[in-house]
Amino acid sequence: MTPPVSTPVLSEPIDPAALPRFDRADGPDKVTGSGRYTADLTLTGMLHAAFVYAEHSHARLLSVDTSVARSMPGVMSVLTADDVPDVRYTHGTADRRLFAKDAVRYDGDVVAAVAATTLEKARAAADAVVVEYEPLPTVTDLEAALADGSPLVHPEWQSYDAADGVERSGNVASFSSIAKGDAHAAMADAEHVVSGRYVADASHATPIEPRGVVAQWEGGKVTIWSSTQVPFAARAGVCQTLELPTNKVRVIVPHLGGGFGGKCGFHYEAHVAALAQAAGRPVRLVFTRREEFLAPDRRREGMIVDLTTGLRSDGTIVARTAKVLLDGGAYMADGEFFPQMAAMHVAGPYKMDHCHIEASLVYTNRQPSGSVRAPTAPQGCWAVETHTDELAAALDMDPVAFRKLNAVDEGDEGCVGQIYNKIGLQDCIDAAVAAVTPEGDLGEHESIGVAIGWWPSFPGASGAIVRLDDDGQGQIVTGAQENGTGSVMTLRQLAADELGLAPQDFQIVYQDTAAAPFDGGSSGSQTLINNGRAVVAAAGRVADQLKELAAAELEASVDDIVLADGAAHVAGTPTKSVTIAELAAAAGGGALLVASGSEDPPEYPELDTEGGRIACIGDQGVAGWAGPQFSCHAVHVRVDPDTGVVRVLNIGAAHDSGTIINPLAALGQIEGGIMMGIGQALTEITHYDEAGNQLNAGLLEYKLQTAADTPNVKVVFIEPGADGVGPRGAKGLAEAPNVATAAAINNAITKVIGTPVRSLPMTAERVWAASMGVDEGSQP
Amino acid sequence: MSFAIATTLDQALAAIADGARPIAGGSDLVVGARHGKAPLPESLVAIDRIAELAEIKAGGDVTRIGAVVNHARLMTDPTVVGNYTALADAAALVGSPATRNVGTLGGNIMNGSPAMDTGAPLVVMGAQVELQSTGGTRTLSIAHLWDAPGSNTAAAGELCTAVLLPPPGDRCGSAYVRLEYRRAMEIAVVGAAAAVVLDEAGAIVNARVALAAVAPTIIEVDGIEDLVAGRALDDDGRAAVADAASSQASPISDMRASDAYRRHTVGVMARRALDAAVRRALGEEIAVPVNRALGIGAA
Amino acid sequence: MTIDMNNASAVTLRVNGTDYPMLLETERNLLGAIRDEVGLTGTKEGCDDCECGACMVLVDGQPVNSCSYLAVQAQGREITTIEGLADGQQLSELQAAILEAGGVQCGFCTPGMLMSATALLDRNPSPTREEIKVGLGGNLCRCTGYGRILDAVERAVTIR
Repeated sequence: MTPPVSTPVLSEPIDPAALPRFDRADGPDKVTGSGRYTADLTLTGMLHAAFVYAEHSHARLLSVDTSVARSMPGVMSVLTADDVPDVRYTHGTADRRLFAKDAVRYDGDVVAAVAATTLEKARAAADAVVVEYEPLPTVTDLEAALADGSPLVHPEWQSYDAADGVERSGNVASFSSIAKGDAHAAMADAEHVVSGRYVADASHATPIEPRGVVAQWEGGKVTIWSSTQVPFAARAGVCQTLELPTNKVRVIVPHLGGGFGGKCGFHYEAHVAALAQAAGRPVRLVFTRREEFLAPDRRREGMIVDLTTGLRSDGTIVARTAKVLLDGGAYMADGEFFPQMAAMHVAGPYKMDHCHIEASLVYTNRQPSGSVRAPTAPQGCWAVETHTDELAAALDMDPVAFRKLNAVDEGDEGCVGQIYNKIGLQDCIDAAVAAVTPEGDLGEHESIGVAIGWWPSFPGASGAIVRLDDDGQGQIVTGAQENGTGSVMTLRQLAADELGLAPQDFQIVYQDTAAAPFDGGSSGSQTLINNGRAVVAAAGRVADQLKELAAAELEASVDDIVLADGAAHVAGTPTKSVTIAELAAAAGGGALLVASGSEDPPEYPELDTEGGRIACIGDQGVAGWAGPQFSCHAVHVRVDPDTGVVRVLNIGAAHDSGTIINPLAALGQIEGGIMMGIGQALTEITHYDEAGNQLNAGLLEYKLQTAADTPNVKVVFIEPGADGVGPRGAKGLAEAPNVATAAAINNAITKVIGTPVRSLPMTAERVWAASMGVDEGSQP
Repeated sequence: MSFAIATTLDQALAAIADGARPIAGGSDLVVGARHGKAPLPESLVAIDRIAELAEIKAGGDVTRIGAVVNHARLMTDPTVVGNYTALADAAALVGSPATRNVGTLGGNIMNGSPAMDTGAPLVVMGAQVELQSTGGTRTLSIAHLWDAPGSNTAAAGELCTAVLLPPPGDRCGSAYVRLEYRRAMEIAVVGAAAAVVLDEAGAIVNARVALAAVAPTIIEVDGIEDLVAGRALDDDGRAAVADAASSQASPISDMRASDAYRRHTVGVMARRALDAAVRRALGEEIAVPVNRALGIGAA
Repeated sequence: MTIDMNNASAVTLRVNGTDYPMLLETERNLLGAIRDEVGLTGTKEGCDDCECGACMVLVDGQPVNSCSYLAVQAQGREITTIEGLADGQQLSELQAAILEAGGVQCGFCTPGMLMSATALLDRNPSPTREEIKVGLGGNLCRCTGYGRILDAVERAVTIR
């Protein structure tokens, strides 16, 4: 192991007990059981919904007979494609309808929906819907899907509307490439060339709350309570598919029981709204765990990565080529940017003058893939970082030293020509390795593996309103969505700091599209950077109003007013002050203390594609990264060589996610992301039959890590003080910890068993098989 | 559908004679019903409040463990931990604190899953099962209780009331280990139990090994004594036992593991179980469960 | 006209010290009875399969996955739910500690987690970290990675 060569800015692991307390506004609700989640809502006269799902993963839909179901007692509405507007939706490619119309394409396609007075009656009626199918050949093999003559998941794909820049053909839903220099010529000149294939299975977001939707119509307007991460996107989907104006659809999110991307996008809000409209009564849908696994178009995509890297004998990377196939499943969902993002991840945060990476999102007759926490990153990182240890081994170099030599740093140019500002990647490597290196020797069958990862930040539009009421207590009205991370809860801290108040002085009105300005939702780690910007701006405007009032009250210049400790003070004159409560009381008579904030988001760096040195076909805007985040995970594992069972003992995780605004909440994101990464690395496997039907749609056979599996985690935040895109220099945060863990685990396993595992997850059986010289390399 | 709570054994046996199904914790029945495996029986009688079924009685020529003793108690009861340690190992590996609290020994063995954890320990320790009905009481060797996955040989009207174990001898030891992919909420991928009796010199007098999740029922490995008896456990003995376990297993391939992997790992588990049983017989304190104490499955 | 009672029987469940008489079908699970009949929705359903622990309640002080336990089986027993942990407005030590330690994120696993932790400390007032991990092994959390929750239980032990 290479000793640290420099002392990082913040190299000490965090001591959780020493962190400032984070007082969550939703905390008391959540620990007493008084907090309401969607499934906890009951409205008078409410009906219960059940869906009819496809019985084949690919079939022509010949007929749907709902007559028996409609006649059953207690059944109040039954809907099929014939009962809703004939609208195809999805931004990237409009390839989907609310209800399957001509064909079903995966085992979770919705054919019909029922609302009845009890859940049992709804399910019985759903069972009574008679559907005639003509089975069609299925597409489940990614490579075969690209061959001439393959059956097509969407034979009519050319007739679909698609967004600009989405490169499509046949079963390829979206193609992207990133290229720089002349990779093939450079590869031919390389002194060493290493190739490898890495195959990742699909996995799942698996929030502990299965999704729920409640819809109620009143006077031509519908209110929808939904467990969505993106209430504004959900509203847009309802408006599009049911052909409603925006101001007649209100989406409210009760407490949200986790998402991890699985509850991004527009899902079932329109189905339930349509059922409620048809029945003339409120309707509630609550998914079973099985449905939560099968139906949503938010599965983490399986991936096949073929990587080749050319090296100089001095250890520098000269060229990289790669082909990536991503299992997109039956519909596009939000996957149009996955190929470009996957290409960035298999390129990795490395200096290289020549690269050529092609990536294709492939339609299959499986559950659609969609954004799950850092989409494409953990699999892509696992592939490229496993490969990186193979590169180091080919040169007999220490893998940490190899990374430090090749990883980007300030002023370096990355794979698509972006030149980075001051970043913390090199410090992350040092800090993570130091955090996990034991004082003594490692035990038998133990080792430490290291991997680095990266992930962008996503600046975007967002708005908030800040108000002080006449007692000086505040309200933050925000479009942002709290999915548990605490990012919305942290808005109180930002507003309070602007106004000289305490976080506890604020209530938050959130998760209601009718009350608040737009926000992109809890997706893309964007809440604190974007809505934080909005809240700081809004609160700043209220602060200005307060200062005007205080200046008049204290007969001082506005410029001399300082807001602190709940009062307005005059700088340099400690005796002159007035409380904010007094100012607010006075203002309550007329000059209301209220302001909105939004502000333009920071811009994304533009790539220099002039002259052809750098080229991005199918550009989806995710190659030039604003506020790039970097990380290094160093993982200490023990392998049972007789069985292949791997146990993670200790992890050092160092992250450059810019300035950390709320350390305790940030720590929770790192630890949670790591645990998800361990599950993806070792136990979270998705099984399919040959036709693409999911076989292990339950928590017994889809194995999340348990409390009993928890390793010791040491977290280091590297704050380089540049390149932030949010308040105080913050970058995004919550996806980055779910990038490098699986890769680091593989590199540790490799040291014990002598060979990498080329299939993800690295189940005990696969580790054992690899150690025996057999690698199944099953395709996703 | 009818439901009755029995507070005496006679009440329970009368209800069962009338066709009621006994229910203790009910986890298997309730989960199975909601997942469409089998509907809930038309008539249920709860037996979890019958005091005599919840007793562990040691002494004399038999140790009697009542059928509704739960796993949480098995893993901590001094009699079980001290003398029938493999059973405590197995109980401690079941599910979670809640499933160990609700799940009972009688329910586990009568459910007849080949992946049950308590079955293999009971086989190697020579357990008898006590079945009672209004017509009387009979006992049978536990190995004769199971005839197929999820099935048992009890007659209609019979209730499992207790598991009977022979009294502990000197220099006895037992252990149960299993392959698991995570450290809680697991079901045995494969498992193995071993019980040994040593002589004063530490040589094996008597040894038995049984396997979980590698055949339609729990199976005992034949010929163990021929492989290891008459000498202290050595590497040849360990390897021979592993080979015997692997070769006598007839595992299936499913989502949890392939047949080849199960066949290999059940040999590993058999070897480790035997090793731990011998060490315990030699007086070494190995905490329950062995999986954690010895780092089985990299724990 | 016949009234189909759907073989429901009159049952009284005692939840957090209060008796609730109700009509229950035999097949109703305890989770459904608590949420829909008693009207306490703090107990969550996450899997219906005994796998996630979101539905954890205490029955006579012992942890039970209420999704897989017949409500009629709980007659005559003391049922404790998340709503029964606080003493009025005074949070229990565990409730306070999990907030202080940062162990709450989405909160969906939190009620079940607190019930398991309560049962753990009742039977073992000073558990080791390893014993805490085992004690919470039946409660899945996808947000926290468990670290802050384990810290919270340790913190509650020291507060006691």
